[in-house]
Amino acid sequence: MAKVLLVDDDVDLVEMNQLVLAHRGHDVRCAYSAAEARELLSAERPDVVVLDVMMESELAGVDLVREIHARMPDLPIVMLSGIHRVKDAAERFAPHERDLPVIRFLDKPATPERVACEIEAILKDR
Amino acid sequence: MIVETLRILSVDDEPGMRLGVARALGGFTVHLPDVGAEVGFVVDTAASGEEALTMIEASPPDILLLDHKLPGMSGLDVLERLANGDRDILTVMITAYASLETAVSATKRGAFDFLAKPFTPDELKVTIRKATRHLMAQRQARRLAEERRRVRFQFISVLAHELKAPLGAIEGYLHILKDRSAGDDPAVYDRMIERCLVRAEGMRKMIIDLLDLTRIESGEKKREFVEIDVREIAQASIETVRPEADARRITIGLHADAPVRMTGDRGEIEIICNNLLSNAVKYNRDGGRVDVTLCARDGMVVLTVADTGIGMTKEEAARLFNDFVRIRNARTKGILGSGLGLSIVRKLAGLYGGDATVTSEPDKGSVFTVTLKQEGPSRADVDGSCRTGAVAAAAG
Repeated sequence: MAKVLLVDDDVDLVEMNQLVLAHRGHDVRCAYSAAEARELLSAERPDVVVLDVMMESELAGVDLVREIHARMPDLPIVMLSGIHRVKDAAERFAPHERDLPVIRFLDKPATPERVACEIEAILKDR
Repeated sequence: MIVETLRILSVDDEPGMRLGVARALGGFTVHLPDVGAEVGFVVDTAASGEEALTMIEASPPDILLLDHKLPGMSGLDVLERLANGDRDILTVMITAYASLETAVSATKRGAFDFLAKPFTPDELKVTIRKATRHLMAQRQARRLAEERRRVRFQFISVLAHELKAPLGAIEGYLHILKDRSAGDDPAVYDRMIERCLVRAEGMRKMIIDLLDLTRIESGEKKREFVEIDVREIAQASIETVRPEADARRITIGLHADAPVRMTGDRGEIEIICNNLLSNAVKYNRDGGRVDVTLCARDGMVVLTVADTGIGMTKEEAARLFNDFVRIRNARTKGILGSGLGLSIVRKLAGLYGGDATVTSEPDKGSVFTVTLKQEGPSRADVDGSCRTGAVAAAAG
């Protein structure tokens, strides 16, 4: 069981991932904006963060990842991104950031099961 | 007014000619009010075709004054070499023998104009003025085309993203439904089906909004101007949103003492009323109020829709009427919309010689005001003056 923080401004994407992750026994927290995510992160450190690159603004997700990484360098982050955007999203990071083992990029649409498997694989590696 | 300096390269083997050109054009300016530009010149000189090519290679001029008869390679040879590049240079051929043959050859190689030797400074200025006008108009057209391409690209990218979001939600839920990967509680799956239907409906609404916007901007839609009563249309819009309002205990009041008549296309005024009413309910708090006020003032119909909803900041309000702008924050989470409704409202109001504006305060509510000319759109407005929009660009 892991503590997962889900961040996405689409309520349905948060909801579906939450349902499947909870069913698999994970403890899930949900944030619908970068601001909410910050609040939850200050309250409690999760085992993994899953977030959408394209939140309220094009850069909100990227900024949030940088911020989280600066504060918690070993916290794994899975970035979800629309197809054709994974590359764009990756390019928003400097090469040394892109290669960080704790940051992974996942194509959207990623089925909730795929997200769950990714999270479980990350946590198993640790 | 753009103040621009164009670079001229004068290529002539006679030093007197080079000096004469530099003198005639130093301090000469061309005023182009239609393009909004004031153009001055700096003149460089070259004594041979070879020297000219080296200079062009290093730093291409805007206008090339090219003598045909040069020692070594001829003016036509220079043109030939330049034709292979994609440089943005306007060439004026200068020739003592203004033969038809030279003219044809030079034109084939891309020369813009001719000047026969000998010429007076005034003749040179007339030619340069003509070349400048052409060059500046060409550049302006290119800039506009570039801007249209950019707007079109941006519109389509955002549209694709906005259509992908509900599709992603529906697909995700369908995968869970297919694999039963969220446990055994049937109520959970029923809720997913419900959400799929909501998102599919949202997608349908967005496509309808998009079609409305396309019709408005393209000027293709046949518009029928008749005498209409805006109060009656507003009343019908209120009835449309009534079920949702009732479910959330939102009261809607219509304040208009008498029919408010104007000339307009019924469908367009309905779109305005429906969008404003649907927003006023959607972004309201449970148990809130919506007040619709209608009056005619100085030849304008003034429609205001006030809600007691979540409101927005000044910065948010400033962006609100643009295409695909949806205010995304904790308060709007879970509220669906195409982000096109208000953009459509403003464009329509513009067609009726009016405008759409908003005043708002976070957590207090918003007041939307739409003004429309009672006499309906002016002739110029009807003739598709709003064709410059993004959809028209996307369709073009």
